[in-house]
Amino acid sequence: MSTRRISAIFEKDLKDLLKNPMLLIPILIPVILALTFDRVTRTPEFPPAAAYIIIGGLFAVVTSGTILSMMSEEKEKKTLRGLIGSPASLLDIVIGKSMVTGIATAASLIVSALIVGIGTFLNVKTLAALILLFLFFLLLGVSMALFSKSTAATTGLLMPFSFLFGFTPMIGALNIVPEDGIAGRALGQFPVMQALELHQGGSWTSLGVMAVWTAGAALIAYLCFRKAMKDG
Amino acid sequence: MTDMNMDFGGVDEEGLPSFSLELRPAQASAVYSDMDMQALLVEGLHRRQIPVFDFEDGLYERLTVADNIAFYRKWFGFEVTVPELLVLFELQGCAERPLRKCSESELRRVHYAKAYIRSADLMVFREPVQGVDVLTIRVFLRLLRKIKERPAAALLLLSNLEHALLLGDLSYKLQPSGLRPIETDEEAAALSDADKTDVPASARLFRIPAKVDDKMILFDPPEIDYIESQDGKAAIIVDGETYMMDCTLAEIEKKLELYGFYRCHRSYIVNLQKVREIITWSKNAYSLRIDNKQQSTIPLSRSKIQDIQERFSLE
Repeated sequence: MSTRRISAIFEKDLKDLLKNPMLLIPILIPVILALTFDRVTRTPEFPPAAAYIIIGGLFAVVTSGTILSMMSEEKEKKTLRGLIGSPASLLDIVIGKSMVTGIATAASLIVSALIVGIGTFLNVKTLAALILLFLFFLLLGVSMALFSKSTAATTGLLMPFSFLFGFTPMIGALNIVPEDGIAGRALGQFPVMQALELHQGGSWTSLGVMAVWTAGAALIAYLCFRKAMKDG
Repeated sequence: MTDMNMDFGGVDEEGLPSFSLELRPAQASAVYSDMDMQALLVEGLHRRQIPVFDFEDGLYERLTVADNIAFYRKWFGFEVTVPELLVLFELQGCAERPLRKCSESELRRVHYAKAYIRSADLMVFREPVQGVDVLTIRVFLRLLRKIKERPAAALLLLSNLEHALLLGDLSYKLQPSGLRPIETDEEAAALSDADKTDVPASARLFRIPAKVDDKMILFDPPEIDYIESQDGKAAIIVDGETYMMDCTLAEIEKKLELYGFYRCHRSYIVNLQKVREIITWSKNAYSLRIDNKQQSTIPLSRSKIQDIQERFSLE
């Protein structure tokens, strides 16, 4: 690992992010959603369930989406040919891009939170939950990027995953699965649902469940990383 | 780096003749071949884990030229500063322009800079100056000089004889029969001196015959751009099209002298009426630019520069 290479990638991708509408538009979507929800609900306090629909979507689209499209564009345009000579340099690229993704997520999250009322988010438990959610979706995005072969494939991968993990509260709201059935109870264990539960006064076990999800994502990312190096 | 010897054409390299390529530091070797042979050679180099710069890898199109160079420089931890690199590759004029708005030639110079920054003991380039302007060819010659100063070895794979003769210190021709060196200027000079003692040819010939399939096409000398030697036979180039002839360059030279044709190189006869420009690459490398659609450039031997200047009364 080399800080020089990480900062080279970081600076390059930050400049590129600001010039790429494909990446900037997803960052704005949660903000627009928050504004719309805020107008529609008309309650003094924003309903947490609605807030977590936005947050879940934000992590799926901004966090997973940004790192996924940044990495698959490099792969597709062969811009990294000759740059990756070792697993270390691939790791540098992933870290540099993760930092840019972090900035994009934070910007989108803070602006959306300001709209729906930032006060309810400012406690240790919720912040810890948000950090775990960020890591989970980041690792998910990295795994998909390393796993897939083309940009078309990445979009195909992103859709079901972002629906399943990002929009879990929406699946519940749609009433397509009975809440008490096996599927319903399984969905309740998904990271965004656990974050919602925590927000509504849940216990530290919710954080534990989310940590398990994040560890699982890390393991998958590691396996994809090894596979990518072998194919390299 | 020490000398490097690569043997090609083993059992697993079907299609390649067996030959050995010797590469020395501070020396640029050019291999001239057709595209198929070149593709096989590139495959062979990949198999040996030698990177080939073929200018097909992408650059960051949304970023400016300076941002691209700054990124590669930082990634590889290269010492030369960005402004110096921009000047070295004649990119100072378009430094703040995003790459998608740059011309082909400017993009190629960014690729050169990337290759220079990446650096290796052996730098292999595939068609480095295909379809670029004169300034970019000059910049590539500068890059070759820099590579030689390191000192590293350069290997150039070209499907254009003119480029091979211009860029390589040593030029080879790769054919199914094997690899053989292309004669250098010194031998050319000796040969043409011998030619000069010959009697000038008669003027009774008005058309130059060339064969296409089984047809015989007759060319009027003034419409010919230049004549190139291909496998010992003369090939007429008219409007970018190549027509093979059934005689050698020396034979045709005698016949065409009267029409204002001139043997400007061991492998070339040029129609002086069509010369637009004499390009000076360095003290001992020259080219002639032909006034045709392709703006072809053909090599001019260093021994002939005096002579040609006299002919054009440039002195």
